Amino acid sequence: MISNIPFDYPPGEHETEKASYSYLMSLIAAIAGLPLPIINLLATAFFYLANKKSTYFVRWHCTQALLSQISLLFVNSYGFWWTISIIFTKEEISNHYIAYLITAFMFNIIEFIVTIYTAIQTRKGIHVQWWFYGSLTNLICKP
Amino acid sequence: MKKTSIQGLSIVFLFVSMLFLCNQINWMQLFSIKATTAKTEEKLGELFWGIYQKAEKQNDKKFANQVLDSLVNQLCKNNKIKRATIKLHIITKNEVNAFALPNGHLVVYTGLIANCKNQEELSGVIAHEIAHIESNHVMSKLTKEIGLTMLISMTTGNTGAESIKNAIKLLSSSAFDRKLEKEADIKAVDYLCNAKINPEAFANFLYRLAEEENSTSKYLSWISTHPESKNRAEYIIAYSKNKKIKYKSILTKSTWLALKNNLAN
Repeated sequence: MISNIPFDYPPGEHETEKASYSYLMSLIAAIAGLPLPIINLLATAFFYLANKKSTYFVRWHCTQALLSQISLLFVNSYGFWWTISIIFTKEEISNHYIAYLITAFMFNIIEFIVTIYTAIQTRKGIHVQWWFYGSLTNLICKP
Repeated sequence: MKKTSIQGLSIVFLFVSMLFLCNQINWMQLFSIKATTAKTEEKLGELFWGIYQKAEKQNDKKFANQVLDSLVNQLCKNNKIKRATIKLHIITKNEVNAFALPNGHLVVYTGLIANCKNQEELSGVIAHEIAHIESNHVMSKLTKEIGLTMLISMTTGNTGAESIKNAIKLLSSSAFDRKLEKEADIKAVDYLCNAKINPEAFANFLYRLAEEENSTSKYLSWISTHPESKNRAEYIIAYSKNKKIKYKSILTKSTWLALKNNLAN
């Protein structure tokens, strides 16, 4: 799912720090912004915009972090509004609902672990490319 | 680009597969969700009714109970509703009111029976309240207004009688939201039609009480808690218009009159 690939150039100390922050940003926001799933996306998006004119390494990792948050937003928002409708409308807890929550939770846990791992590796200057998100970032983010 | 698309699709596939696998497990049974919900409602029903019956005077005339029972029996029998799930209580009070408490407790005031011109009108109101019970509107309203945590703490005895009284007041003197009221009205028309009771009488009852509302509003709790009665009467008429059913009476005319006399004395 994730692979360590040599980057185009060896990133500097200040770059690895910023790139690592882009992942940490989503984690901190996820803890602070619970249960609203949009908070972590907004935090990552702001960090991405702030570093839009930064070096290629930083931009690349900001983009990867942002893309992963966008897909999680859809998964979590659906679960969030489903929960809201159970609390405030006639909708009842069902087997489908619990199955969806467990699936969404598993995906969030996987993303959480991968994000922590990537933040640590990026800080060390190791370029970590995720399955799908890495390829997508390569298409969007150019040197 | 092709590689990225394949990778993207494989993530979607992984998500759908995981969802499919999770769906195969009966989580509701595993976590005993339905049993817990039913138990909470059962406890709340007994708790609410226990407090309510102490504060009000229950009608002790056997005849009135038997007559109303036969109306409820017919509605239940013709709509495949388990009769034991509906617990009918008649309260001696002049207010025109009927409401449902948790766990199928259906409360009818003698004032409502006195105000109904015929058995079809009364059947309409009873059918409407049974529809609320069967559609689980009572627990939905309580959960929405009071909160599930508060309801559960009521069942464990961690709240005072005052909060339970307030919850009963909420059910007896405030309407469900418009969508739920309409749902109960339409369901009531179906119940009436299945039992071959003319639903037009239910609409007439709403029309009449809406007109009387301004003059004697203090006795018309049921109508003041069920707003826009004229509008409701109109859609009841519209919904039941094209049903070609040969209606019949459940009670004989003399039984109906005897019921009215019985309660008047």
